[in-house]
Amino acid sequence: MLQSTFKKEWLDTKRQGQALWLSGIAVLLLLLACVTGFKSHQSYQQAVNEVSQSEQLRWLNQGEKGPHSAAHYGIYVVKPTTPLAALDDGLQAYQGNVLRLEAHIRNDSLFRSAQDNVPLSRFGSLSPAFVLQVLLPLLIILIGYPLLAREREQGTLKQLLAAGASPAKLFFAKCAVLFTLPCLFLLPVALFLLYSQTASEAPYTLRSALFLLSYLIYLLLWALITTTLSSLFPTARRALITLLTIWAFATLLLPKLAMNLATTLHPQGSGQAFQAKLESEVYTDARLDAIEKFKQQTLAQYGVSQVADLPFDYAGAQLQFGEQYADKIFDRLFKARLEQLEAQSQSYQLAGLLTPFIAVQTLSMATAATDFSHQQSFENAAEQHRRLMQEVLNFNQRDHGHKAQGHYTAGKELWQQIPEFSYQYPRFTHYLPHYAISLISLAFWLIVLVLLSLFAIKKLRLEEQR
Amino acid sequence: MTTPIIQINNLQKRFGEYQALQGLSLAVHQGEILALLGPNGAGKTTTINCLLGFLQPDAGEITIAGVNPQLDVVTARQHLAYIPEQVALYPRLTGLENLAYFSKVASIDKTDDEFRTLLAEVKLPSHAVDKPVATYSKGMRQKVGIAIALAKQAKALILDEPTSGLDPSASHEFSQLIQSLAKQGVAILMATHDLYRAQEDAHRVAIINQGQLVDTLLFEQLKEVQLESVYLKHIKVGA
Repeated sequence: MLQSTFKKEWLDTKRQGQALWLSGIAVLLLLLACVTGFKSHQSYQQAVNEVSQSEQLRWLNQGEKGPHSAAHYGIYVVKPTTPLAALDDGLQAYQGNVLRLEAHIRNDSLFRSAQDNVPLSRFGSLSPAFVLQVLLPLLIILIGYPLLAREREQGTLKQLLAAGASPAKLFFAKCAVLFTLPCLFLLPVALFLLYSQTASEAPYTLRSALFLLSYLIYLLLWALITTTLSSLFPTARRALITLLTIWAFATLLLPKLAMNLATTLHPQGSGQAFQAKLESEVYTDARLDAIEKFKQQTLAQYGVSQVADLPFDYAGAQLQFGEQYADKIFDRLFKARLEQLEAQSQSYQLAGLLTPFIAVQTLSMATAATDFSHQQSFENAAEQHRRLMQEVLNFNQRDHGHKAQGHYTAGKELWQQIPEFSYQYPRFTHYLPHYAISLISLAFWLIVLVLLSLFAIKKLRLEEQR
Repeated sequence: MTTPIIQINNLQKRFGEYQALQGLSLAVHQGEILALLGPNGAGKTTTINCLLGFLQPDAGEITIAGVNPQLDVVTARQHLAYIPEQVALYPRLTGLENLAYFSKVASIDKTDDEFRTLLAEVKLPSHAVDKPVATYSKGMRQKVGIAIALAKQAKALILDEPTSGLDPSASHEFSQLIQSLAKQGVAILMATHDLYRAQEDAHRVAIINQGQLVDTLLFEQLKEVQLESVYLKHIKVGA
């Protein structure tokens, strides 16, 4: 049944021509998106390497200066990328990919490429993920809507069933034919992922497998719903109109509404307002009091009455105290912001129960490491590096500053003590619980559509009663 | 008398207030052609749809070669071939491709040469075999329909208005084909309005009206009576 249905549909499609044209256009779009994505990924990866190297050189060759001056001199770190980002750049353009690590302040990421774009450019952005998530379901609908409905209209469905074709086999054969289309589209994607496994330093096997699996399930869902509605509706036209309405809701309208709802339920201030809040909460009289208290405790501990009599450079110790004092406030405020953003993300993911688009979009960005959670991981790691940097510099000032005649300066030897920032994303299993809702949503939709398919098959058995 | 291939006992079917079949009983034996006559709405198509398993009767029993389609529709359909008034084929596929596809979905595996032989048997012109069905006349489509039945080696053939719209020559050719199938042992149930064809081809004629069997005429009687007058008498009584 499967083989003969494949052959029949292929001959029919080939002679009709329309589906071939549509598929050809979609293939071109996907290839264009893949090439653009790959080029963009390559140039980004190159920039990451170049910037990281030049920053490290800039840091090491900054010359002789006081450790605290070096702390303000700072260093820029760049968020790394995965090969999957070539397929789904996710929120990369909106989150910023460079962090400045310096004394006293935990900065937000900089260089959001979306800020450099004109507003209209958003409509022109074409990533492989967009093709897979939005355009491919449309293609499945445009090719699949007449699969059973047209057979019903032209009378061949009744004749096929009367000939002894099993309704279930017929349904699944049609669905399999339709599902072959997205599988063919995913083939170059799979090849790219396979190639990137060999070319990349870090293996992304689990990420790649999950990326492909989530798209396979997502596109299978579209093949199932298209075949089901084509089977349930009396005419191909009605099936098409209904499917297009579902597509528009599922891929365009509901995700937008879900995002708006999530941001309304868990509102988030602007980045500038947050940075202003950080500064206003750190630089208060309480901080001055705490510093004074620290000074008195230190003097008492060493049994001296003035900092000049301490056996170390007090300025370094105070700087480190100030850092640790601010870090606690940073941790509190960043945690609150993170919880808010986390709540937004979970609310949005929950809407995956309304449309599988949200589930696949979330899993796609997650496996590509271009979502909010991965950004947080990077920013947390960068912050830990900043704190380590400050500690090394402040302790150096503390331990050596008082020995110097005049202004204490350090050189390359100290700068080399700070390890180069090299970040790799944790294994994907680390993140899995975070995406539980999306995984459950995909499974939920699969169950719903399999049940709906079984219902459609049951109706096919009594074709004439419709 | 042999065991009937098609057996219908006390069949009843209601659509809302309308009683389409009221205890209809019929039997078609191996090698027999039974013409089912009746006016529009008499219950011919409802009977056929029950036989094909597309409709569930409210009461009564059907067997096709011993299989009840209500219980095992797929097996029952394997014994059946069905040719509607308009044989529905895929217009962009050739006659050969249509025959191959309809046969393969019914799990009949034959080579292209065997399918060509079948199309030759039903006298489909050889030049048409590899042409899209969109270019076929109704008679040619009917021939492909019969070839599908032949390929299936069905025990029963159900025809719904098979000669409607055929020119006399095509109708005669079609008649010869079903006669030949009957000789091969196929039980044929032919629902028709074509009294001439029924009188010429059928071994028995069953007249139904308002979902009931009102008369049955045997082949021998058919030669002696004016079928049209018998038919009209029953229909008027029914009305």
